[in-house]
Amino acid sequence: MLARVANNLFWMGRYIERSEHIARYLRVNYFSSLDAPNQVSQSRQFVLRSMLNMIGDPIEDESIVHSEERVLYKIGLDPNYPSSIINNVRNVRENANSARDLISTELYESINKFYHFISKYDPKVYTKNGLHDFTLNVTEMSAILRGKVRSTLMHDEIYAIIMMGTNIERATQIIRIINAKSNDALKAQGSYGDKFKNSFEWTTLLKCTESYDMMRRYYKKTPSSISTLEFLILNPDCPRSIMNSLNQVFKHMQILDPNTKLDRDSTAFLVAKVKAEYEFKCIIEIEKDIQSVIDTTLDSLYEISQKMEEEFFSY
Amino acid sequence: MVNLENQIFSSYKRNPVLFDEIFDKNGQVKDVYSKLFTLYGEHSIKDYVNLNEKAKSSFFNQGITFQVYDKKKTEEKIFPFDLFPRIIPPEEWNIIESGAIQRSRALNLFLWDIYHDKKIIRQGIVPMDLISSSANYLDQMNKVDPPGGIYNHISGTDIIKHTDGQYYVLEDNIRCPSGVSYVICNRTALKRALFGVFNHYKTYSVTNYAENLLDLLETVKPKGVDIPNVVVITPGMFNSAFYEHSYLAKTMGVELVEGRDLFVENDFVYMKTIQGPQKVDVIYRRIDDAFIDPLEFKPDSSLGVPGLFAAYKKGNVTLANAPGTGVADDKAVYTYMPEIIRYYLNEEPILNNVHTYHCSRPKELKYVLEHIETLVIKPVDEAGGYGISIGNRLSKKEIEVVKAQILLNPRKYVAQPIMSLSVHPTYIDKTESFEQRHVDLRTFTVLGKDKEFVLKGGLTRVALKRGNLIVNSSQGGGSKDTWVLKT
Amino acid sequence: MPLEYFITYKAENTYEEPVHEAYWQFLVIPEENESQQFIGIDFNSSINPKFEFSINGYGFKTIRVHMKQKFEQIAFEARFRLIKKEINPFDFTPEADKSKSIEKIQGLNFKVDYEAFLKTTPYTYIPYTKNILFEFDWGNSIFDNLIALNSYTYRYIQFNTKATDVHTTLNEVLDIHQGVCQDFTHLFCALARTNGIPARYVSGYLHQGNGYFGDLQMHAWAEAYIPYAGWIGFDPTNDILAATNHIKVAHGKDYSDCSPLKGVVYTSGKNQTVHSVQVNSQDQQ
Repeated sequence: MLARVANNLFWMGRYIERSEHIARYLRVNYFSSLDAPNQVSQSRQFVLRSMLNMIGDPIEDESIVHSEERVLYKIGLDPNYPSSIINNVRNVRENANSARDLISTELYESINKFYHFISKYDPKVYTKNGLHDFTLNVTEMSAILRGKVRSTLMHDEIYAIIMMGTNIERATQIIRIINAKSNDALKAQGSYGDKFKNSFEWTTLLKCTESYDMMRRYYKKTPSSISTLEFLILNPDCPRSIMNSLNQVFKHMQILDPNTKLDRDSTAFLVAKVKAEYEFKCIIEIEKDIQSVIDTTLDSLYEISQKMEEEFFSY
Repeated sequence: MVNLENQIFSSYKRNPVLFDEIFDKNGQVKDVYSKLFTLYGEHSIKDYVNLNEKAKSSFFNQGITFQVYDKKKTEEKIFPFDLFPRIIPPEEWNIIESGAIQRSRALNLFLWDIYHDKKIIRQGIVPMDLISSSANYLDQMNKVDPPGGIYNHISGTDIIKHTDGQYYVLEDNIRCPSGVSYVICNRTALKRALFGVFNHYKTYSVTNYAENLLDLLETVKPKGVDIPNVVVITPGMFNSAFYEHSYLAKTMGVELVEGRDLFVENDFVYMKTIQGPQKVDVIYRRIDDAFIDPLEFKPDSSLGVPGLFAAYKKGNVTLANAPGTGVADDKAVYTYMPEIIRYYLNEEPILNNVHTYHCSRPKELKYVLEHIETLVIKPVDEAGGYGISIGNRLSKKEIEVVKAQILLNPRKYVAQPIMSLSVHPTYIDKTESFEQRHVDLRTFTVLGKDKEFVLKGGLTRVALKRGNLIVNSSQGGGSKDTWVLKT
Repeated sequence: MPLEYFITYKAENTYEEPVHEAYWQFLVIPEENESQQFIGIDFNSSINPKFEFSINGYGFKTIRVHMKQKFEQIAFEARFRLIKKEINPFDFTPEADKSKSIEKIQGLNFKVDYEAFLKTTPYTYIPYTKNILFEFDWGNSIFDNLIALNSYTYRYIQFNTKATDVHTTLNEVLDIHQGVCQDFTHLFCALARTNGIPARYVSGYLHQGNGYFGDLQMHAWAEAYIPYAGWIGFDPTNDILAATNHIKVAHGKDYSDCSPLKGVVYTSGKNQTVHSVQVNSQDQQ
């Protein structure tokens, strides 16, 4: 496979995953705030700030009043904002375009449909009463794309590259969502016991990552900070967890680099090393310093992505 | 009179001066179309409105689109597809196919000759001007033997049917002829929309193009290569024909590369893959000569591969089509095609040529200037229908402008009598009815070493504006599925 | 007596913005031919990119350089050693019969054989509106006519390094009557060709020892084809015949076929190239 095209496929995988998480974050936060148990969580400004925080554009100054319409437009459909959903999907399509001869017709057709759906969506309808419809469609269409990737492509190195992108991005987005929501939990504390630990925002966090139902079945308890973080970071069976994503990255890395004796300078070595770190992490350590876990995770993921770029995409 | 019982053709206006592909002079449906005519008549016009919309969105969703360049922006458009297929009966197809092969082979021998001994010029059969004042003649190709002796691996021949019912060749495209992917997409689209009609006709399949192309490209591999690594090179996804480039790569099962994916080392060509450099042996290039190697040709181009021409000249890589093929694409060469065919093949031309006046010859220039309203004026070196003036469509003022242009550089222009392209019923969106529209046919011929292939079908292009004779997609043309019937 | 030449060609490229990747192709290696025996080449650059030898589309040896790391400035130096036989340019059998030569150049076969060097190019194009500049006297031999054309060109253009650059076409030179060796050569070629004599642009080095114009740069002169004699070199910049002091690198239809340095550079800003040449010689023992 061409190095340039591999790069395109990697990023196609990343952008598919990214659009989905952003869209879901918007929907879940907006709608769960409507009937949240406390005033802070109900506040529209609180939700808008959380959205900006998650997308990577945090506004520290809490006295600034955000316009709902403007924030939603910016994150959803603003063609001039590089991180908007519409630009994510445009990037999916552009990356798919230049790898068009390698991906299946079915996958390409779905990407194209997705793109046309978004580019035709009326921003007025979206900001007024279309948020639910728009974001739901984005998450579902992303799921369709993931399905097409899995079922219409050979599970060879093309697939491995896409899945590397998907899983690195998934881990990245999950950790960013954890970051944004734990931040929210500090502000919107619970009403009993350890108020941070019992914040309503942990439930929202699980919903933002589509893991609430799984988590309830697993712990059979109201989510707290510890159980939520343990589930989302360390549980290898939770398909949205960091651990699971790293396991996936490791698995697909082996297709690209089947050497068993790894060069210490290779991406495969780095992936194995990061994976091992999480395998032997305990929730106690995480609880002690959530922020530094978030930061090092983001750093490690970035490092893996950089290493891939050097080793496979440009030389 | 048109059969009025057939609802969908009840408002079909038949201009008796034009050659209609379906109806004869008396308005009777020709035999070969009669079944199709009846089948289509079973649908109401509403069905067509519906089917037409479906076909459009299917093209759009599949991303079978091209970009149109405007002064301000580029726009993504679909190449309009018409629901009514064109049928070519076997006896007519035999003429087209053998004629297309004859022309491609003659052109190939012509190219070999003008890049080697130039016998045809020495013997005074064609003027030296054809090479000495052609911008497309590459001195660097002199005495170069392309692998397998093939220059024009892929030729697109544009053929029309005149009012006399005869086929005429309008142009030979042997630089980077495009459109073959639409032949296949049109077939797919028509099958999706009206699969029932296929049961009643024995039509040749068009899906075997890619395998034949790959097969023939492998016959012209460089010396010493066992199983050649073939790639398609594209200028990139912003090129108007990018869909076709990716389609061809995909259906051949080969890599689609851009210039930046390749590099040359020790006069061998390699592509950058995730497993490291991989040697490339045959390049089907969809980039014009001037852009293939910035160190040898246009220096400010980043589309090509630095050093590629040196690798080619050394015989380490095959380029299809060969560099310098464009010289035979020149409209001035076209006018000598009958002589060229007779000279190299010792055969009479199978397909007619349109008589051409050379503005470079004083006598003919005079005739052209005096009869401009009965002629089509064409620049010799433009592709895609750009710069064409049709005499009887020009105002007096415009005629003067065209005359002045010709006088400024007579070598640049040729003129031909206005040929009347045949017409074919075509579904028109605006009026929601079938109307007569002019059509042509582009055939695709592939030459390999001692082997050749003509795609049994071809691209029937339709001028969608009423009365318009220019069918190019860049000028608002559409296309039809084209059926070549089995005997 | 054969002479041994030492030639140093230097090029220094400076870029406004950092360059990420670059390719260059040098057409500076002396041609190996009957009178030029090539001994050695030494190629260096300030940074150490990959380089390799290749042959360009016209059959001349090139040095191709590929630079992958980031840089803003790069200098190249090529040193050549060669032995040149002493040449007497008048040493050929004169045309046996003038009319026979003239007949020959008018024949179709001759025109086809030398087609490349008989046609006009953008650099050597003389517009029809210009007065006829130089016409051959067919009473004289072709060689004598070319000698006269050489002098005519020498007088027509005043040597001035500031007046023109590598992009200047003949059309502009005809208006200003000033230029450098490239412009002299273009004019000579154009006028020889309009009179039916094949003429080619030659790039190379000139040993400056004798006070000729050449300005420490690569030099250019012309070669014209004389029936029954072959290609003869004319240096209209100095109004002499090309001889032992002229070390040939390449020939072509005009400057664009012989440009010493071509490059593809991936950068956004402007760039500047400074070339310099030094030619030394010593008698061969």
